Amino acid sequence: MKKYLTYLKIEAILALRSIDLVFFGVIMPIGIAVLIAAIGGNKMTAEGYTYLQGTFGSLITVGICATALMGIPLCLSDYRDKKILKHFFVTPVRPSMILLVQAVINALISIFSASAIYIILKLGWGYDISGSVGMLILSFMVTMFALYGLGMLIASVCRTTKSVNLACTLFYFPMLFLSGATVPFEMFPKWLQSIANVLPLTQGIKLIKGYSLSPNPKNIVMPFIILLSIALISIILSIKTFKWE
Amino acid sequence: MIMTKVNEITKKYGNKTVLDHVSFSVKKGECLGILGHNGAGKTTLIETMLGLKKADEGQVIIFDHNMAKRKQQLFEKVGVQLQHSAYQAKIKVHELCQERAVLYQTDIDEDRLLTDFGLLDKKNQMVESLSGGEKQKLSILLAIMHEPELIFLDELTTGLDVVARREIWKYLLQLKKNNKSLILTSHYMDEVETLCDRILLLKDGKELISGTVQEVIENSPYDNLEKAFLWYMGEEVLL
Repeated sequence: MKKYLTYLKIEAILALRSIDLVFFGVIMPIGIAVLIAAIGGNKMTAEGYTYLQGTFGSLITVGICATALMGIPLCLSDYRDKKILKHFFVTPVRPSMILLVQAVINALISIFSASAIYIILKLGWGYDISGSVGMLILSFMVTMFALYGLGMLIASVCRTTKSVNLACTLFYFPMLFLSGATVPFEMFPKWLQSIANVLPLTQGIKLIKGYSLSPNPKNIVMPFIILLSIALISIILSIKTFKWE
Repeated sequence: MIMTKVNEITKKYGNKTVLDHVSFSVKKGECLGILGHNGAGKTTLIETMLGLKKADEGQVIIFDHNMAKRKQQLFEKVGVQLQHSAYQAKIKVHELCQERAVLYQTDIDEDRLLTDFGLLDKKNQMVESLSGGEKQKLSILLAIMHEPELIFLDELTTGLDVVARREIWKYLLQLKKNNKSLILTSHYMDEVETLCDRILLLKDGKELISGTVQEVIENSPYDNLEKAFLWYMGEEVLL
């Protein structure tokens, strides 16, 4: 365990030395949250809750989206491109350890980003979670597992930085804009909602938003099942299909 | 005791055959030098042995294990210095050593190794700020840090000055004394004569000759390895 933590610590230091992860994982999500709070803030919506209460669940997933679909795949494709993974191949390290370390680093960034958003919204706009904090955290974790599973799979399957960039663009931007993370899902026309519904992040946001607004939200079983299935399948596939070169 | 055995290994890139039915074995405490021109197939041979490349034909056995599939535990006993070193951006020397050390089960004293390789005063420097020779020494250090039984060194002293080369030789000779087996590629004949018990000459992926340095010289019309090497390669021996 001590050895694993040392490996994790060094990779985390390297991640923090690169400004990309800090920018996309922390600064950008906080920036979006502050912007949306400044625009909507405590205005009441037709649904009977404030604009912030309605969007909090979405805002804390922006960090997950960025770290899962940009952070993990781009870091590992860079390692592959520079032949760093080739050097790891000739050591006893397993693909699962390489993937897990990157996932944990990015998860810590996401958790930091979500916590910072909560604190800023609470201090700046008096926001409070009216639902279940415990279940909200669990929903956040399940969403993270699913999205990180996808990120790990992209990192494993794509051979080159170019293909990773393409895959990240194809997953990241639709999820960022269509899942409700930045633009409220309810504002979309029905046909767009149907398309957006297939995105894993949409399911994650449904869960998180549900538990941020109520201790017993409705229709949460299916999103849980979908997210856990995506997490399980993509994590297993990412380990099986991991490419060193 | 045989540490590794290569049986009739063949590797093709498209229609081009880069390794053509190459066979050899390396015993415990023995050093084998693989020689040949650039593009002769030396690096491909090493990378195929390690499982980095898949052989089209033949078999590689290391410690009784077929290398067709990667078995990570095997690398607890195998050390590898690849031809081109590659490290993470913005990583410091001591971080790199520490990160690699924790991948092995053996407890490794990084500071002692850095002292042995004359790199202790560079431990807080970024790896990218090291000179070519220092980077080369660092990559050899990383290959042998876990005291492996079998060590692969691909162009081990390229970029090193005379003093640094001799320091590395001294270190490797000590490893040989401790019954470690080495497989190395080199373009320096003095290095090969100093370190290797046997050599294998490759040309266009085919084995030209193998044997002790003395046997290889005696089978040529010349009395030193460099001239013999040129003769085997079909090059003109000018001087």
